[in-house]
Amino acid sequence: MSRSAASEAALPAASGAHPPDTCPLPRTARQRRALHRTEHRWALLFVAPPVLGYLLFTLYPVLFAGYASMTSWNGLGPMRFTGLDNYTRLLGDEYFHQSLFNTAFYMIGIPIGLALALLLAIALDRRIPGRTAFRTIYYVPVISSLAAIAIVWQFAYNGDFGLVNQVLAWFGVDGPNWLQDTTTVKPAIILMMVWKGLGYSMLLYLAAIQSVPASLHEAAALDGAGWWQRLRNITLPMVRPVTFFLVVTNVIGGAQLFTEINIMTPTGGPEFSSASVVWYIWRQAFRYQQMGYATAMAIVLGVLVLIITLIQFRLNRRNSFSID
Amino acid sequence: MKKSRLVIGATCAAMVGALALTACSGEDGGGDGQITFMFRGGPDEKAAYQAAIDRFTEETGVGVEVIVTDADQYATKLQAAVAGNNVPDVFYIEQANLQSYVASGVLMDITDQVDELGVDLDNIWQYGVDSYRFDGELQGTPEGRLYGLPKDVGPFAFGYNKTMFEAAGIPLPDPDVPLTWEQYVDICTRLTQDTDGDGAIDQWGTGPNVTWNLQSLVWSNGGDFVNEDRTQVTVDTPEFAEALQEFADLTTVDGVTPSAGDAATLDTYQRWMAGEIGFFPVGPWDVSVYNELDFDYDLIPWPTLGDGGAGAWIGSLGIGVSGTTDLPDAAVELVTYLSADTEAQQTLVDANIQVPNLIDMAEEWAAAPDAQPANRKEFLDIVQDYGRAMPAAYTYGAAWYDELWTNIQPVLDGEQTAADYLAEVQPRMQALLDESIVNAEQAFAGS
Amino acid sequence: MTVIPTLPRTRPVARTASTSGSGARRESRAVNIVLLVVLSVFAVAMLAPLLWMFTTAVKTKPEVFALPPVLWPSDPQWDTFARMWTEAPILSGFKNSIIVAASVTVVGSVTSSIAAFALAKMRLPAKNVIFLGLLTGLMIPYPTIMIPQFVMFSRIGWVDTLLPLIVPLLFGNIIMIFFLRQYLQTVPDSLIEAAKIDGASYLTVFGRMIVPMIRPAIAAQFILWFMTVWNDYLAPTLYLNSPGKQTLQVVIANLNVEYATQRDYPLIMAASFVALLPILVVFLVFQRQIIESVALTGTKG
Repeated sequence: MSRSAASEAALPAASGAHPPDTCPLPRTARQRRALHRTEHRWALLFVAPPVLGYLLFTLYPVLFAGYASMTSWNGLGPMRFTGLDNYTRLLGDEYFHQSLFNTAFYMIGIPIGLALALLLAIALDRRIPGRTAFRTIYYVPVISSLAAIAIVWQFAYNGDFGLVNQVLAWFGVDGPNWLQDTTTVKPAIILMMVWKGLGYSMLLYLAAIQSVPASLHEAAALDGAGWWQRLRNITLPMVRPVTFFLVVTNVIGGAQLFTEINIMTPTGGPEFSSASVVWYIWRQAFRYQQMGYATAMAIVLGVLVLIITLIQFRLNRRNSFSID
Repeated sequence: MKKSRLVIGATCAAMVGALALTACSGEDGGGDGQITFMFRGGPDEKAAYQAAIDRFTEETGVGVEVIVTDADQYATKLQAAVAGNNVPDVFYIEQANLQSYVASGVLMDITDQVDELGVDLDNIWQYGVDSYRFDGELQGTPEGRLYGLPKDVGPFAFGYNKTMFEAAGIPLPDPDVPLTWEQYVDICTRLTQDTDGDGAIDQWGTGPNVTWNLQSLVWSNGGDFVNEDRTQVTVDTPEFAEALQEFADLTTVDGVTPSAGDAATLDTYQRWMAGEIGFFPVGPWDVSVYNELDFDYDLIPWPTLGDGGAGAWIGSLGIGVSGTTDLPDAAVELVTYLSADTEAQQTLVDANIQVPNLIDMAEEWAAAPDAQPANRKEFLDIVQDYGRAMPAAYTYGAAWYDELWTNIQPVLDGEQTAADYLAEVQPRMQALLDESIVNAEQAFAGS
Repeated sequence: MTVIPTLPRTRPVARTASTSGSGARRESRAVNIVLLVVLSVFAVAMLAPLLWMFTTAVKTKPEVFALPPVLWPSDPQWDTFARMWTEAPILSGFKNSIIVAASVTVVGSVTSSIAAFALAKMRLPAKNVIFLGLLTGLMIPYPTIMIPQFVMFSRIGWVDTLLPLIVPLLFGNIIMIFFLRQYLQTVPDSLIEAAKIDGASYLTVFGRMIVPMIRPAIAAQFILWFMTVWNDYLAPTLYLNSPGKQTLQVVIANLNVEYATQRDYPLIMAASFVALLPILVVFLVFQRQIIESVALTGTKG
């Protein structure tokens, strides 16, 4: 975190007059280092719980998984070391490739969802009657249990009399058998995911938008900026931290997609077109008892997500500018 | 500064320690004359088993802790329990997993104890008992050691909508003689019509799902999925191809089914229950619901394609004993109660969710005058005479079998011929089967 | 966070929905009405599946499968909501879920907030590495971590207790830390420095200054976390055996039998619907925190 000299110099002014010897400001480099050391210790203490939790509960399983990925373990018996066999098998496994593609496809839902959420938040920021009711209604899908929702949507997507196709029928559109058609199954699941996550993103955006000072918008309007320009140049940059957070967490979460697939398309979809990586991992681990192989896939997925996340962080740092 | 950090750290450690100690006070249910039984099932099964368990506890003085789980996560929970050394003493087993459990020592060999308890194995369906036998090489042979008793046998029979037939003026099919395929398609065509004159077909001959209905067709045509010693995948034979093609033609050529995509969902189930479908499979688990429907239905043998005779598959779920249980004798006895206790069986049968495991009880049940469906003897015929195990039930894992269904949709949509598809998929299936055989050898070598 | 140089403000203005848009930014009435219509249509889409859940809860078992689908049963089975409490351990499920969710979120929010403060505002060598390291914990798919964790907890005898569901989460939630860290980065360091100069200890800085500032963010994450824990069913299914210990989602999941025709969908839907209500309450309580109280002390925008 950069600390501009300006802020340090501003401090004495903030605290009023400048008493000589009782001034707690570090004068020498050594004093400054000592102060920093204290701060380090406190910071370490504050950070200790999550780090401790990670070491105790996540690190061991991850290391265990790393070892298991190099064995032919079936989850029940002893582990037999096989080196990189599982990984070479992955390279040739078409189903794994398909599931990777499917998972990447599902990420399309992220920008769609965020754009919708932002628009919704902007709309709900205005003085529309029933604002609070709307906010609550839009949030209800978020809090419903995923399992129940998946069952409900499974019925809704039924080819002949599901809710979705009945609504389409009002517009004279003959809806497809959503979950059984290779071209529509993924969009169908994306729609459900967007539906479910909309309220949460909207809420976060709403909070961020409401902290944009009205004066900014007023000034811009006075200068003749239209709605779109204000959106692009004021709102979007101001909510950028929220956007960054949502994108990163949604990518990580999207890579872990499992329950929805398992309930709505229990066999991985028509011609494996809806199976996500974690779904395939689950199947290999618990149905086919190929725990070692499944773990190797999990490690690969984890590494991929890590790389993507690091790239996102790098991009974010480069693009953001801050004035303290 | 340092002091406060130490203090905080020490407190945390103490808290965790204390929590751990208090939690440690209950070991898994295998201590002091108590055994754990894990299964999955609905309220009827729970009620029936609870009664059997109460009688068991009375007789033996051993308490039973019952763990009921979500059907979807059963395999996961069991596997976690095995990994964590926390296996329930008695639990459900699927046929397809038997060999890997035996290889890993998860299942106990109960042949001797069952013998000692004097259980009349002859009065339990041979198919049911043999399914849980393993002789070291093949599963399901009468000479193998016993690793579990059947929770139930599930013959998958074929049914028809009697009321629809009568309304359409079609003579009812013979309850014992299977229809030939030509006769079957002919009846389906006559049944597929627009009954209320609105221009849209609202009644169909049948609506089968390929995953559950192809087997009987293949077998009746003389084909099979694997060879006798289960080392060779035989789906690319002409008999198999013909069966699959005829199946697909039901939708694409004969037009007697709702769309193929619908068959894969709950859709055709619901259409059958709404009385829109003429022929539909019936399992014992469906009977309680089907009996309440608005129309009359009955059971018949599956239609035959070739000269192989009628075919049908029999599902089964077994109950086994953990290889690491502390109370083996009590556990085995509990298994026999759950599998063969007459009162428990009667409760389950009265709830119309399964066929009785005991042969004498079953025959009485089938011959009952107010039987619904009337020809429920068909269930017994399947189990005793012509039914077979599902192809993947006796192999080491089902990956090769699942491969057949994953990309089969184009065949059902008429975009690819059955023969082409089967020629394509056989090598992939063979590779998976070979792999599972290798896995089996490794697993048994390591045990 | 990108900040356009802040325009001079004379005093902190709490931006509530009622004051937003006032002044020079006249809101077009017509636009508002159009938006109202659009929002309502979407709102129906948001609610429709849940309404379906509710109507299914009062149908009879065969009616669930009836064709054409029954919109509202002619004879609503209200007693499903009553028998739900006796046919499955729903009450104890509620109790266990509340124990787990409440203890995790309350304690975890404290640990997460403090950690976020340290990672955002304090000097700590390699703190970005620490942060990213914590984030990696999310990237390995759960099925892989699940089994070794189960083995660990099994060894210390925590199976069939609520402890494996609570203890690991008490240590903090990286998503919450992430969000709070983002939020905190918009707070100028000068504020913190000022407080430190005045001799405040770090804890005081945190408690007196930071927490009120990030209260909306904590509230938003609290709701999400509560809901995630409340709705989780994979881990509880693995660990909890006795019906008396199972959380609500496990109880509902256990109603799922193998054969679709035997499934008691009305009961499952009724229970799922009722399971929604506590979270809804939490949401209603906390959402005011998020939206209405953005009373920041004049330095943030």
